[in-house]
Amino acid sequence: MRSLVEVTLRVNGIDHEVAIAPWRTLLEVLRETLALTGTKRSCGEGQCGTCTVLVDGKAVNACLYLAIEAQGRDVRTIEGPPQGDPALAEIQRAFAANGAVQCGFCTPGMVMVTRALLAGNPAPNEDEIREALVGHLCRCTGYVQIVEAIQDAAGRLARQEAH
Amino acid sequence: MSQLRRLPKFEFVGPRSLAEVCALTAEAAAGEVLLLAGGTDAILQMRRRERTPRRVVGLKGVRDLAFVRETGEGGLAIGAMTTLAELLAAPLVRSRYALLCETAAQIGGIELRNVATVGGNVAGALPCADLPPALMALEARVKLSSRRGERWVPLDEFFPEFGRTAARDGELVSEIGLPRPAPGSGGAYLKFHDRHSMDMTVVGVSACVTRDAERGVVRDLRLAFASAAPTVFRARRAEALLRGAALTEQALEEVAEAACREADPRTSWRANREYRQALVRSLTKRAIGQAWAKAAANEGAPS
Ligand SMILES: Cc1cc2nc3c(=O)[nH]c(=O)nc-3n(C[C@H](O)[C@H](O)[C@H](O)COP(=O)(O)OP(=O)(O)OC[C@H]3O[C@@H](n4cnc5c(N)ncnc54)[C@H](O)[C@@H]3O)c2cc1C
Repeated sequence: MRSLVEVTLRVNGIDHEVAIAPWRTLLEVLRETLALTGTKRSCGEGQCGTCTVLVDGKAVNACLYLAIEAQGRDVRTIEGPPQGDPALAEIQRAFAANGAVQCGFCTPGMVMVTRALLAGNPAPNEDEIREALVGHLCRCTGYVQIVEAIQDAAGRLARQEAH
Repeated sequence: MSQLRRLPKFEFVGPRSLAEVCALTAEAAAGEVLLLAGGTDAILQMRRRERTPRRVVGLKGVRDLAFVRETGEGGLAIGAMTTLAELLAAPLVRSRYALLCETAAQIGGIELRNVATVGGNVAGALPCADLPPALMALEARVKLSSRRGERWVPLDEFFPEFGRTAARDGELVSEIGLPRPAPGSGGAYLKFHDRHSMDMTVVGVSACVTRDAERGVVRDLRLAFASAAPTVFRARRAEALLRGAALTEQALEEVAEAACREADPRTSWRANREYRQALVRSLTKRAIGQAWAKAAANEGAPS
């Protein structure tokens, strides 16, 4: 079987030419080939949300997505683009300010789903926030501070917009 | 930690059109090719080595299978590669097929709904899949396509046995078709599971009721169940008991009892057979009650 395939993966706005085996998941390629280890690997079956990245602006589990199928799409990870992503940075500040991070393992996934949520719904109510977090597990803080961080992030981004 | 294992080796093809997919499936021997839609079931099946295909046909780039549109007869056509998120966002689905929205919204979290497809939920033939009961209660048909052409199969004849569908010889699911709901009808899907979210269905019941407003009776009832037998199924004998009848406590008890007799649930670590039977009994009554109330609310609505 001819195993390696040359593909171009656009991650955080940068095109990477990589030779990958077709059976590698996006999560494996991000972490092991591109050394983008901010995206975490945990359950490997779509239950925990730690591997959440954005593909064409939509939150997906990178453990359930073949890297080869991300070709021609826009992949965004917690590392963000080199020039920075002000919204992503603001969400991260809100998480830190609200004590929403303890061990930090679930945080990249939580931040990425928040990025997608706020892009489509700049002022979500608590139910909408909790609904967005359904596929995310946190075993340290509980979810109260995380919900508060997301509310705070929404407020911060709205103020940014107003400027 | 078997779930962290790599996937088995395979060759990948990414066709761009239905015709290309049909050409690829036509040449393949059984088990040799795996169709990968959203992959939310298939990737896990491969990781567990339940499936080790030589070739994976990725369908994400087949855009002519991703659509939601009104048919000439005023019904609904859903392309197999429509994601659950796309289904939930479609204006026609929101306005006319509230039951589908109610059901799809109960599947997984947003990350799952962004990739999991309608076709994958149906073609996977899992008894615990949530869309098939709702689609069955809405009298869905499945379009199967292959290089030989296409044919339609009613969804309630689509699952001959556990884990199998009526598709054969290179056929794939290309479309799901729904008739326009009758005026004065309403539907409900009740999914019982341990956690509030992200959990497989222990028992799911979908009911569609059409009211006869003048006589105050049930004109039509359709009932379909998830995780209550080796396949999703329609409880036709139970349905028949209520057609033309008033919705009394007594009548509901009899329908629920009949549904229990048609069900054949299994015992698993999630729940035993008796527990599932009890769920079928109580959820059937509740689902019919809710569907009836929605049908009443929809009366006079232009649907
Ligand atoms: C964390 C998690 C939670 C879940 N929660 C739920 C839930 O609440 N309810 C629920 O119903 N499901 C649930 N699922 C199961 C799964 O996500 C759904 O069944 C989903 O709709 C499958 O669609 P897919 O596009 O991902 O299918 P895939 O995984 O791509 O395919 C599933 C099967 O169908 C075949 N197939 C796919 N498309 C076609 C086609 N067009 N023609 C012929 N064969 C085809 C594939 O070859 C495969 O055998 C969950 C899964 C996970 C990982």
